[in-house]
Amino acid sequence: MPRQIPVGDAPLSREAQPVWDLPVRLVHWLLAGLIAFSWWSVHNHHTDWHIWSGCAILTLLIFRLLWGFVGSSTARFANFLRGPRAIGEYLHGRWSGIGHNPLGALSVIALFLSLAIQVGLGLVAEDEDGLYTGPLYRLVSIDTSDKARDIHELWFNVILGLIALHVLAIIIYRLRGKYLTKAMITGRAVLEPGVLPMRRARWWLVFICLAAGIGVTRWIIAGAPPFSS
Amino acid sequence: MRLVLFAIASVAALSAAATTAAVSGRKAAQVMHARHEGMESIGKAFKALHREFDSASPFAPTVKSSSGQIASLSKQSSGWFPAGTGPEVGKTGAKPEIWLPQNKADFAAKVSAFQKAALALNATAAGGDMNAAKARYADLGGTCKACHDKYRSEMHH
Repeated sequence: MPRQIPVGDAPLSREAQPVWDLPVRLVHWLLAGLIAFSWWSVHNHHTDWHIWSGCAILTLLIFRLLWGFVGSSTARFANFLRGPRAIGEYLHGRWSGIGHNPLGALSVIALFLSLAIQVGLGLVAEDEDGLYTGPLYRLVSIDTSDKARDIHELWFNVILGLIALHVLAIIIYRLRGKYLTKAMITGRAVLEPGVLPMRRARWWLVFICLAAGIGVTRWIIAGAPPFSS
Repeated sequence: MRLVLFAIASVAALSAAATTAAVSGRKAAQVMHARHEGMESIGKAFKALHREFDSASPFAPTVKSSSGQIASLSKQSSGWFPAGTGPEVGKTGAKPEIWLPQNKADFAAKVSAFQKAALALNATAAGGDMNAAKARYADLGGTCKACHDKYRSEMHH
């Protein structure tokens, strides 16, 4: 009886391979936490905490935007933003790869855009008593600022809808045997044979992107001089 | 000392009494409308103050007129919360807790603190000392928040 000898890379392919880098995972979970905290704080008389939370989200969004150009392969927009044809291929089961699939990428972009809009509204909003103001409230009139708050409040429903869609998709994948949450925690997943793992970014670029995010946020907190004094 | 306590208790009882004369029907609707408009005007004036005191050199005429508006509206506020004007009769941000017996004294004290702070700001602003007025403005904001945190619901749009 011949001995069973593993052939080629087969055993290796059953080991979990990197699919999400640490910055992508941190941004993801910090955003989840900060969105929850923003909701809780503004409904519990901590509007000041709510504003700081929004500024933290702004920093993360700027960081993630830059990381989408210089980050690891699965973090880059160029690698996951695909056209309608790629989405069609995916829907016909003819897509293999790691990271965001062509359809899921739309959800990711919608989530980031909706958060950017929410932050933008918050920056110029003020609470209805005039006690708290977003750092850029001086750029607009009192009426515009009040209107921005009203839309900010309504827009949260759009974000909630997108989050619900996101979670629902994850549950459906899970029922079909794909554990996406685990990969977003550990950063690793078992890949199908022939699929290349993530290519890592140069680690020091994290600090440049983060410095840019913090720098721009601080400038906005200062009222974006010299545009508003 | 006992006399002072008695005087304080009487004032508290009187101001509580001012809010307890119950209203209904058209009168209730009128009061609720006046309250809503009044609160909104106070809010607008306070926002104008926020913009002035947040700038390097507050524009004194705006500070004076906004402070004056809030002071005069604050005097009306004693009549804005009669029993029978809660969420059970119409759309309002006023929480039913306002009219609970155990909160009456506290609510009256908070309205009174607001009125005192509004008058103090107006007096200081009229004097022209913008630094002093800024401190009174901060005190006034504290009285808004103290009452709103406890007695205003989020269903007030």
